Amino acid sequence: MALLATATVAFKTINTQIRNRSFLPLQKHLSLSSSLSSFSFFRTVSGRAMELERKNSTVIDENGVLKKGIAEFYDESSAIWEDIWGDHMHHGFYPPDSTVSLSDHRAAQIQMIEQALRFASIPLEDERKWPKKIVDVGCGIGGSSRYLTQKFGATAVGITLSPVQVQRANALAAAQGLANKVSFQVADALDQPFPDGQFDLVWSMESGEHMPDKAKFVSELARVAAPGATIIIVTWCHRDLGPDEESLKPWEEKHLKKICDAFYLPAWCSTADYVRLLESLSLQDIKSEDWSPYVAPFWPAVIRSALSWKGLTSLLRSGLKTIKGALAMPLMIEGFKKDLIKFAIITCRKPE
Amino acid sequence: MRLLTHNMLSSNIKGVEKGFPLRIEAEKVVEKPVEMNADFLRKMFEKVEWKAFVEASRSMGYAQLPEEVDSGMLESDEFLSRFHHALLELHLEEGALVCPETGRRFPVNKGIPNMLLHEDEV
Repeated sequence: MALLATATVAFKTINTQIRNRSFLPLQKHLSLSSSLSSFSFFRTVSGRAMELERKNSTVIDENGVLKKGIAEFYDESSAIWEDIWGDHMHHGFYPPDSTVSLSDHRAAQIQMIEQALRFASIPLEDERKWPKKIVDVGCGIGGSSRYLTQKFGATAVGITLSPVQVQRANALAAAQGLANKVSFQVADALDQPFPDGQFDLVWSMESGEHMPDKAKFVSELARVAAPGATIIIVTWCHRDLGPDEESLKPWEEKHLKKICDAFYLPAWCSTADYVRLLESLSLQDIKSEDWSPYVAPFWPAVIRSALSWKGLTSLLRSGLKTIKGALAMPLMIEGFKKDLIKFAIITCRKPE
Repeated sequence: MRLLTHNMLSSNIKGVEKGFPLRIEAEKVVEKPVEMNADFLRKMFEKVEWKAFVEASRSMGYAQLPEEVDSGMLESDEFLSRFHHALLELHLEEGALVCPETGRRFPVNKGIPNMLLHEDEV
């Protein structure tokens, strides 16, 4: 408990300094790299706090703890994300070597959706072949659902573990006049509350990384897909293992674990693992690609936004979970740089 | 939660063979008028499981839907407006959705159904 107290004191001190504006001149001179190294102290402190949280939990079931953590993380963080980045809680898609300003990021996030549809060979020119019923698995505050509903004139339903997100998603839908086309509920992607074969587009945009049982996750996606439906998964994976490798190297496991702790992620798998799972369910037209080069500007941009005046003050008002997540962002950049983390798209079709 | 949504939800508790449709226990139903779109209604008509829809509507306090339907009825303004009202204007704010086989209640609070299963139901 002493370490938790230390962490609280540390954050309270920073908060006071910022309020007194004594931090501000220092902040102006911070380059990105020096500010990253100054985070290392806080990373250690918050890491220990997380360890304590786990040790003190008497819940034996790890998945239950994970789900609760995910729900609480997004309950706490969604508003601050939306405030700075808008209603799409996913990476933007950037042409390689592009230089983008913050205002381009929303366009890039829309591009991500469009490119994913294209990659999955959704026949965009033929209205008769457009999806009519869409499920958004791990829907966040519903950005994808509302976009897809408007694009295709379809109905969509989104599921998430976070009640705060559902409330916000429904409110945004109502505000945009889409409430009769799209609805959201609290549900578990590993046990989707739908009968079999309901949807002709099954959409999972950056939620797969939260699923503790990848096999169950994929089998649920396939179950709720109607015959002929398209399944689109965009997710974070680790690199494929070499033919003689049994597992990732120890430093790689350690690195991923730090990210897992901060973002409430279970163990990672590779793109090849997803492909194998889809194959095992006899799904067709399975395609996958590494889109890491197309998302390179994203994490640096998120970090810059977190270090802005608005970002920092919002973070300090948000909560420990959000702050912990923010502090883990440099780990994502490092992971991509070292070819450990891959931003993957995997799509397929359910047989007719 | 509108009946359009209810018509899509089912209970996936382990061992349950027929988890659809969920029974509605309505504690608070609110009517929120919304503009009617006939094209949308005609599209939705084909997707809606009608028997479950009529029963659900009755649980929400609206019993003016015909038991049996055919697509010819879509020409009737009277039918369309009743269909529209039940499908989109009735909101279950507080209550529960009940698994038809096990009786397990999924709570609905502030219009949001919580379909999360407990660990032993998975």
